[in-house]
Amino acid sequence: MSAAPRHVVIVGRDADLWLTATALRAALGPAGVEVTTLELPSRLGPATAYATLPPIESLHARLGLYEAALLRSTDGSFSLGSNIVPSAGDPFFLAHGSYGAPIDGSDFFPFWVKARRHGLEARLEDFSPTAMAARHGRILFPDEQTETFGRTDYAYHLPAIAYASILKSHAARLGVTMHQAIGVEVKRAGGAIEAVVPDGGSPMTGDLFIDASGSEAVLIGPTAATRDWRQFFPGDRQLKARGARFTAVPAYADVRLSQNSWTALRASQTATYVVCSYRAEDQDDESAVAAATGASGLTLSDVVITPVSPAIRETAWDSNCVAIGSSACALDPLLDLDLHVVQLGIVHLLSLFPTSIAAEAERAEYNRITRSLFERLRDFQSAVYFLTGVSRAAPESLLHKVATFRARSVIAPMEDETFSPDQWRALFAGLGLIPEGWPPAIETVPTEQMKEGFRRILGFVKNKVLDQPNHDHYLAEIGAGGTA
Amino acid sequence: MASNGSDRQLRVVILGGGTAGWMTAAAMVRRLPGEFYSIILIESDEIGIVGVGEATLPHIKQFNDMLGLDEAEFMRATRATFKLGIEFRDWDLPGERYIHPFGAFGEPWGGVQFQHHWRRLREHGRGTAPFQAYSMAVAAARASKFALPDEDPKSIRSTYSYAYHFDSGLYAPFLRDWAMARGVSRVEGRMAAVERDSESGAILGLMMQSGDRIPGDFFIDCSGFRSLLLGGELGVAWEDWHHWLPCDRALAVPCDHGGDGLTPYTRSTARKAGWQWRIPLQHRIGNGYIFSSDLISEDEARETLLANLDGAPQSEPRLLRFTPGRRAVSWSRNCAAVGLASGFLEPLESTSIFLIQAAITDLINLMPSPGPERAVDPRLADEFNRLGNVQYERIRDFLILHYAANRRQGEPLWDYLRAMPLPDSLEHKMALFRARGTAPEYQFGLFSRDSWLSVLLGQGFSPQRYDPLADTFDLELVDTQLADFKSRIDAAVAAMPSQREFIDGYCAASESVAA
Repeated sequence: MSAAPRHVVIVGRDADLWLTATALRAALGPAGVEVTTLELPSRLGPATAYATLPPIESLHARLGLYEAALLRSTDGSFSLGSNIVPSAGDPFFLAHGSYGAPIDGSDFFPFWVKARRHGLEARLEDFSPTAMAARHGRILFPDEQTETFGRTDYAYHLPAIAYASILKSHAARLGVTMHQAIGVEVKRAGGAIEAVVPDGGSPMTGDLFIDASGSEAVLIGPTAATRDWRQFFPGDRQLKARGARFTAVPAYADVRLSQNSWTALRASQTATYVVCSYRAEDQDDESAVAAATGASGLTLSDVVITPVSPAIRETAWDSNCVAIGSSACALDPLLDLDLHVVQLGIVHLLSLFPTSIAAEAERAEYNRITRSLFERLRDFQSAVYFLTGVSRAAPESLLHKVATFRARSVIAPMEDETFSPDQWRALFAGLGLIPEGWPPAIETVPTEQMKEGFRRILGFVKNKVLDQPNHDHYLAEIGAGGTA
Repeated sequence: MASNGSDRQLRVVILGGGTAGWMTAAAMVRRLPGEFYSIILIESDEIGIVGVGEATLPHIKQFNDMLGLDEAEFMRATRATFKLGIEFRDWDLPGERYIHPFGAFGEPWGGVQFQHHWRRLREHGRGTAPFQAYSMAVAAARASKFALPDEDPKSIRSTYSYAYHFDSGLYAPFLRDWAMARGVSRVEGRMAAVERDSESGAILGLMMQSGDRIPGDFFIDCSGFRSLLLGGELGVAWEDWHHWLPCDRALAVPCDHGGDGLTPYTRSTARKAGWQWRIPLQHRIGNGYIFSSDLISEDEARETLLANLDGAPQSEPRLLRFTPGRRAVSWSRNCAAVGLASGFLEPLESTSIFLIQAAITDLINLMPSPGPERAVDPRLADEFNRLGNVQYERIRDFLILHYAANRRQGEPLWDYLRAMPLPDSLEHKMALFRARGTAPEYQFGLFSRDSWLSVLLGQGFSPQRYDPLADTFDLELVDTQLADFKSRIDAAVAAMPSQREFIDGYCAASESVAA
C-alpha cells in the first residue's frame, strides 16, 4: 500500500488555479500536504467577470475570504439570479431562491399551474421573494422569516482579474509555493506524470498533479479524450466586452436571447460586463460586436473574441492527474457556470482526497460523480436552446425531464443536481412550457384555501421586499460602491 | 390532473386485497380527490394472502400518519411491537453479530464523517469502543429498551427512528375497514378473464367468474406473485436475479414467546442454506427459514427451523416459493403493479412493505388525470418505472452485500456467494469503502450512509485508510468528543423503559399473551 500524496502540483491559471490552490492548502495544509503552483500566463482581460452560484459563499467562508472585503476589493456586486428575455414571450426571472411556499403541505408550483389555467394573472416570479427583490433594485439576505418561507440565496458578479489576484495573495498567505512559466513540458512515465518542467526551469515532481489550465488542458489533454457536446449548443463564438456601469447597479444578470445568439449583461460597481454568444455561420466577429452593442445599448471596449466548443473530459481524473475547471468540462457560456465547475471539482477532490498514490477507487468515484454533476449543468443550459427551438437536439435526461414536467408539473428527481426543482420549473415555465396537468392530490385542497395561500405568499413577498436594503445603498454601507 | 371536464371520473380498479392492495386503496382514497377518482378493489376470500413482511422500516410511520391512523390503536390492532433495527448473527463468521440500526452512528465533525474520526483514534491506539457502541438505536436494542424519539435535534434521543413488527395478516383487514369506511368499493370474487382494447391494447375491464364485468380506466395489479395483469395479461418480462440472491423458498412458522423475549429488533441468523428470521410480536414470535432449494430439502429446512425456535410452534410450517427479481417495467399501458406483482426481493432488510409504499407514493403523484382518454400516458409510466428502478437496484445491491461479504468457509452456498460476480454498481461501492472507508451516499433510493456503514463494518470490511481530512483535527479533542457522545448514549439508554414496559403503558393488545 502506497502512502497518501503529500505533495500536490497544480499547473494552471487564473481563478481555476488559485481557487484550487487555496482550497487544497487550506483544507489539507494542517494534514501536512504541500501545494506548489506553476502559473501560466493569464487569459483574463479587463472585460471578464465571473458569475458565481450561491454555494461559493460557503467555500469562501472555509477559506477565510469575507464577503464585504471581497466585494470591496474586487468592485464586485451581488446577484440574485438572471432576468431572461426570450426573443418571443415575456421576460422571466431565474432566481437563486424558491418560488412560493407549500400550501396545505403540498408543493406550490402545481397550484400555480392550476390557478393559471383558471385565469390567474400573477407570474411565477411574483411568488419569489428573491426575484421580486431583484426586480425592485434590492438585495435579499436569508433571515428567520425567509428560512421558514423557503430558499433565498444569492451570489456575486466578480471582476475576474481582481478576484484571481485576491485568491493568489490568499494562496501565498496560506503557504502555497509559487512558480511561473510561459509554457510547460510534461514528463510522463507509463501513463503517469513524473514531473512538469517549466520552460527554462528545473523539473517539478509531485505525488498528484492538477490541471487547472482551462481549455488548454496542458496536463490532461494529451492522455484523456473529450466527449463533444456541440450538438446541444449552437454558439461557437463568444465575445466578451466591457461598458460603462449603469446608474443603479442591478443585482442580477440580464440575458437577452435572440435567434441563434444571446447577449448577457452583468454589473459590477464600476462597469457592465457583456458576453455575447453566436454562430460563426450567422455573423462575422465585426457584426457580432455591432450586435452586442445594439443588444446592450452600451459603448463597448476591451473586446475579446474566442471560439467555444462545449465538451466533457471522458475521465476528469486520469492516472495521477486531476483536471479541475474547464480542463475537465468546458460548458457553453450561457449563465456563466464555469466557476461553479471549478468549485464542484475542488469539493469532490477534497472529499475524495486520495489515501494512496494509486488512488484507483477514488479516481473511479470522482469520475463518476463529476460526470453526473456536469451533465446536470449541461442539461440546464441545454433546456434554454431546446425549448426555444434554437437546438433540435437535447440529452436524453433532459428530454425525460421535459416530458415529465409537461405531463405532471414535477421535475423528475435526479442525483447530483446543482439547480433546485423550483429553478428548473422557473426555467421551463419561463420558456413557455406550461404543464398539461398536475398531481391529482392538490385537488383535495379547497379553492378558497388555495387562494388564501396565494394571498399569504404574495403578502409575505411584498412586505419582505419592502424591508430589504437597496442594492447600491447596501454596497455603499459595506464600504464598497463608492461611486454609487 | 387537468381541469376541464370536471364531471368525468377516472375509474381505478385494484386487483388483489392483500397488504399491497389495501395499502394502495387506503392511500388513494385518502389522497386522491373523490370527485375525480373512484376506487374499486377486487378480492376473493378463497385466496390467501402472502402477508409480506411482519417486519417493517421506519417509513411506514409516515404512511400511517398520512392516513391519520392513531399509532397506539394501530399497534393494538396488529399486535405490534417496536423495532430499532435488525440483528445479523453469524453472517460474517459464525459467532459474529451486529445490528443494522434505524439511526446514526456518532455525528460528523468539521465536515468529516464520524467513521473516519473513529478509525483514526483506533489507529492511534486510543481506547475507543466498538463502532456499534456509538449508535443510540443499537445501544437501546441491545438493552431491549424502547422510548419514542425526541424531536429536539440537540437531544441524543433524536438520533434514531423506529419501525414496527406487526401481524401483516391483521394489517390488511385493518386498512380494509378504514378504506371501505371512506368510500372504497370492494368486490368479492375471482377474476376469470381480461378484456382489452384491440387497437390500443389497454385494459377495458375484468371479467369475473361470477359473470360480472368490472369496467375501469386504470388498473392496479396487486395480485401478488402471479402478477395476473402486468405479467400474465400484458406479458411484461421477468428479470431474474436468482444468480445474485439464490434463496427461493421460505418456511414460516409462528411460535410462543420465550428465549430472548420482546427484543426491539428483528433477528436474522445465517444458516447453512440461507438464513432464519425471528420477529417478536406482542402475542407470538414470527419465524422463518429462507433457503435455497438447490442445497437442502424442505425436510431439512423444516427440521432446522423447528430446532431453533424460542417456544412451541403454533402451527405447521408453511412453505412459500419465490424467485428474486422484478418485472422489466411496473407500469405498462393503463396498468401499474404494486407489491409482489411488480417484483420480489427477499425480506432480509424488511423492504417488501417499503417497496409497496414507495410505489404508492409515486403512483399517487403520477396517476393519470381523469378521463378515459388520458389513462394511457407513457410519460407518466416512464417516470414511474424510472423511480421504481432506482429503488429496486439500490435495495438489490444492499441485499447482495450481506451475502457477498461473508467469510464462512467450506459451505457451498456461502462459498458461491463470496465468489459470484457482483453488479458493477455494488463492486464500485465496496472498492471505495475498502480503500478509504467512504460509504455510499445518495439522495434518492433506500438506505442511508449509516445503513451501508453498519453492514460493511458488521461484515468484516476493514478499510485500508480513513479520510485524510480527519488528520487535520486535534486528536485529544476528537477523543473527548467520542467519549462524550458515548456517555450521552449510555445515560439516555439507562433512563429508558424496557420495550415490554413501554408497550404495556402505550399499546398493549388486550389478548396479548406474551411472557
